[in-house]
Amino acid sequence: MSRIEEQMPGELERRLKGLLEESVAHVDGRIRSRLNQARHAAIVEASRPRRPALLRPFVLMPTAGALAAAALVAFVLWPHSPQVEIPMTAEAGHSMEDLDLLADGDGLDLVSSEESDGSFFEWAADQTDTNETST
Amino acid sequence: MPSASHGDVKLSDSISSSQSRALNQFLAGVELKAFKIAQAALRNEDDALDAVQDAMLQLARAYADKPAEEWKPLFYRILENRIRDMQRRRTVRGRVISWLPLRSNDEDEEPDPIGQAPSVEPQPPRRLEIAEAMGALERALQELPRRQQQVFMLRTLEGLDVAETAAAMGCSEGSVKTHYFRALQSLRAQLGEFWT
Repeated sequence: MSRIEEQMPGELERRLKGLLEESVAHVDGRIRSRLNQARHAAIVEASRPRRPALLRPFVLMPTAGALAAAALVAFVLWPHSPQVEIPMTAEAGHSMEDLDLLADGDGLDLVSSEESDGSFFEWAADQTDTNETST
Repeated sequence: MPSASHGDVKLSDSISSSQSRALNQFLAGVELKAFKIAQAALRNEDDALDAVQDAMLQLARAYADKPAEEWKPLFYRILENRIRDMQRRRTVRGRVISWLPLRSNDEDEEPDPIGQAPSVEPQPPRRLEIAEAMGALERALQELPRRQQQVFMLRTLEGLDVAETAAAMGCSEGSVKTHYFRALQSLRAQLGEFWT
């Protein structure tokens, strides 16, 4: 027996136990009736056929949720290939052509040439207007 | 489907009728003590009944097929968890109510254990004496820290040994001994006038 148990006040313990047991014996009928009903409900619950654990809907839900979350994280973090082909639309094609025009040196020649009086740009603007009205 | 009659309860074949009888016997043996333990912790009859009912259902649902020797620690472990949940919920509810401007004073009043005595007829002196002593004990128990109160009730009223109490509480046996000893010391100090 441990030192703590040796020090226990045995008489007090005995009297407290007796008192608690008497209070249990005097529990009133309403409480007893409700406990009886609860016990019967528990027995019915125990006798209810149970499905295997894996088939219980709420058992699989956390697992399915965890898998879905892991799949989402994997998709987001997966290193996607940089060589993804972006479909070229008609407008995107025009933009690329414009970029070529701006990048090459011919455009600068047109602007900086001494004999240029801006007629090329007027002509280009006319062409654009003509194209828009024809479409 | 074979079935057995158990009072007015129909038993199916998910657990055997002997297991059902054993479970019924076990629950009948612990229900009043469990109620007293829950009542000491929750200080409310209806809450204590709810806690015991939930513990019974949970035991039946999850552990009815376990060996009967394991039921007692399991049952009191479930009950303890249920009591703790209800105490936490009550604490949160108390905080919310305390913020409300108009609250009824009688909602927060703790039930007087003597005032809750069931009989309205004059009681015999012995019952009065018990009620008075029990009231003093309940007040003293309320002063105990939660773990000390739990150990005291499980060991003194339910008669669990140190190992069973430790299993029910989810702590070490040394911790159970310490809590029990301190509980008895506190109770002796508080109940001195009733026991001398």
